Amino acid sequence: MLRQVKPRTARSKRALEKRAPKIVENPKTALFLRGTTCSQVTQDALADLYAMRQTNAKRFHKKNPIHPFEDASSLTFFSEKNDCSLILFASSNKKRPSTITFARTFDYKMLDMLEFYLDTGSFRSISQFKGKKVPVGTRPLMVFAGTAFESTVPTPFTMAKSMLIDFFRGETTDKIDVEGLQHVVVVTADEPNNASTDPNDPSNKPALHLRVYLIRTKRSGQRLPRVELEEHGPRMDFRLGRVQEPDEAMLKEALRKPKTNEERTKKNISTDIMGDKIGRIHTGKLDLSELQTRKMKGLKRERDPHLLEDDDDDEGGDFAQEEPKRKRKTKL
Amino acid sequence: MSATTVPAGGSKAPKLPVTVDKPTPYTFDLGLLLANDSNPLEMSPDPSQRETSLATIARDGAQSLINQLLTTCPITSTPAGVLLSLPPPQTAIPREKPVPAPKAETKWSAFAKRRGIKPKTREQRRNLAYDEVTGEFGRKWGYMGANKAGQEEPIIEVPNSKKEQERKEGTSIRGDKRREIRERIKRNERKMRSNQRNAAERR
Repeated sequence: MLRQVKPRTARSKRALEKRAPKIVENPKTALFLRGTTCSQVTQDALADLYAMRQTNAKRFHKKNPIHPFEDASSLTFFSEKNDCSLILFASSNKKRPSTITFARTFDYKMLDMLEFYLDTGSFRSISQFKGKKVPVGTRPLMVFAGTAFESTVPTPFTMAKSMLIDFFRGETTDKIDVEGLQHVVVVTADEPNNASTDPNDPSNKPALHLRVYLIRTKRSGQRLPRVELEEHGPRMDFRLGRVQEPDEAMLKEALRKPKTNEERTKKNISTDIMGDKIGRIHTGKLDLSELQTRKMKGLKRERDPHLLEDDDDDEGGDFAQEEPKRKRKTKL
Repeated sequence: MSATTVPAGGSKAPKLPVTVDKPTPYTFDLGLLLANDSNPLEMSPDPSQRETSLATIARDGAQSLINQLLTTCPITSTPAGVLLSLPPPQTAIPREKPVPAPKAETKWSAFAKRRGIKPKTREQRRNLAYDEVTGEFGRKWGYMGANKAGQEEPIIEVPNSKKEQERKEGTSIRGDKRREIRERIKRNERKMRSNQRNAAERR
C-alpha cells in the first residue's frame, strides 16, 4: 500500500484527483512488461499489442522477476504506482513458451488473470503486413465469433472475451465519426473438438484467433455500403492457459453500476406521435351492482306507498322487496 | 452464409450483396462497437484455407455490424464530419476503481434540501447589482459595496433602544455592521468544523 498523502500543492491535488475513483471512469491504462526470460517473438507480440493500445498504455523495458500466478504482489504494486488496471506480462520458459498473461486489477488489487499461450509459428507482426496503418487512438470495431464465447457460466473463453473487450474498447464516447470506423478486431474461437485426445494437453484445447483487418467500404448501389476487409496485423493465435478466477465479492463490487442522475423511465407513461402524454392507470374493480339498467314503467317505485298499503295485501311482498333498495340509496 | 461472399464477378455485376444471413442472428453492443456471432464456425479442414475462412467470418461480422450501426444509430452531419450517436454500452465490464461513496450530508445541505433552497446562480454570485435609486450598477460588497451603505455618513442617528444602552465599553454604532459580519463568519467557520468532524466520524 502506498502511503496516503494529503496534497500540499494545487498540482499534486490535481494529480490525485485525476486518479481518484470517479462515477464515469477514465479509460483504463494498460501496463506492458516482461519477465526475466522472454523470447523475441513474444516481445514482438507485446510490442504490437502496445502499438494497438497507444495513448492509454505504459511500457516497461527492464526485466522483472515476476511469476504472476505464484505471487502477484509486484503487479498490484505497479498497478497502483502507475495507475494502470490492465497488465500484460510477457514471459517464456520451457514449460510455458511464449506466454502473455492478461491481468486486471480492481482498486489496485488483483481481480483476475488469464494466460494466453502464443502460437509462435503463425504469429505475424503489424510490420509484416503492407498497406495503410490506422492512426493512433482510433476505436476498433469488435467481432467475437464462435459458440465458446456465448457460455452463460464463466469459462476461460468468456473471461478472455471480457479482457479483450476491455483491452480494445478505448474511450467510450456517445458520438463517433464515421470516418473513424477504420478497422475491426475479430476474435474467433475454435469449436471444442471432442476427439479422444488428452484434454490436459494445451495443444488440444481450442484456439483463439486474433485478427485485425482494415475496413474498405464500396458502393453497393444500395443505401448501405459493401464491406471488404484487408488484413492489417497483428495476426496472433492463442491457446488459453492458467486462470485465476475473480473473487466473487470483488467482482460484484467491480460490476456495480453507479447511480446516475438520468431519470428512470416511468412505467405506464408514454407519448404518442402527436406529442400527447398517455398514461395507463389502475382503476380498481367496477361495482356493477349499482349499474343503471334500462328503466321500465313496471319496475318504477310507487310514489306513495301508504295509499297502496290498504289497497291489496298481495303486493305487500313486492313492496317489502323494494324496501332495502331504498335504504341503500340513502346510504350513498 | 457463402452467398454473401460472392465476389463482384464480372464487370457488370449490378449490385454487391450487403446483407448477411446466418442461422443465429448476431447480437450487438453498439456502445462498444461490438458484435457477437454465436454461430458454429465453418472452418475448412484444410489448414492452408484457414485464413480465408477466418476472413470470411470477419467480413460477415464487420458487414453486419456496420449495417446495424448505420441503420439504428442516429446520424448527424456536422462541419467536423458525419457523427454517429452511440447508445450506452450494455456489456458488463469490471470497473477500475470502486464507485465513489456519496458525500456525507451536512446540516446545511439537509436543511437546504428540506426548504428547497437551490445554490445561487452565476448571476446571483456576481458582485454587481443594479441600484434602482441612482440607476447605476454598483458593487454588492467590497469597496463602496452596497452592504456598507449608510456607514460612512458623517452623522448617524443613534436609536434610543435597549441595545444601545447595553453597548460594550469602547464600541460605537460605527463599525457595528463590520462586527456583525465578523461574527457571522466565525459562526460559519465553527459550523464548518463541526460538519467536518461529523463527516469524519461517520466514515
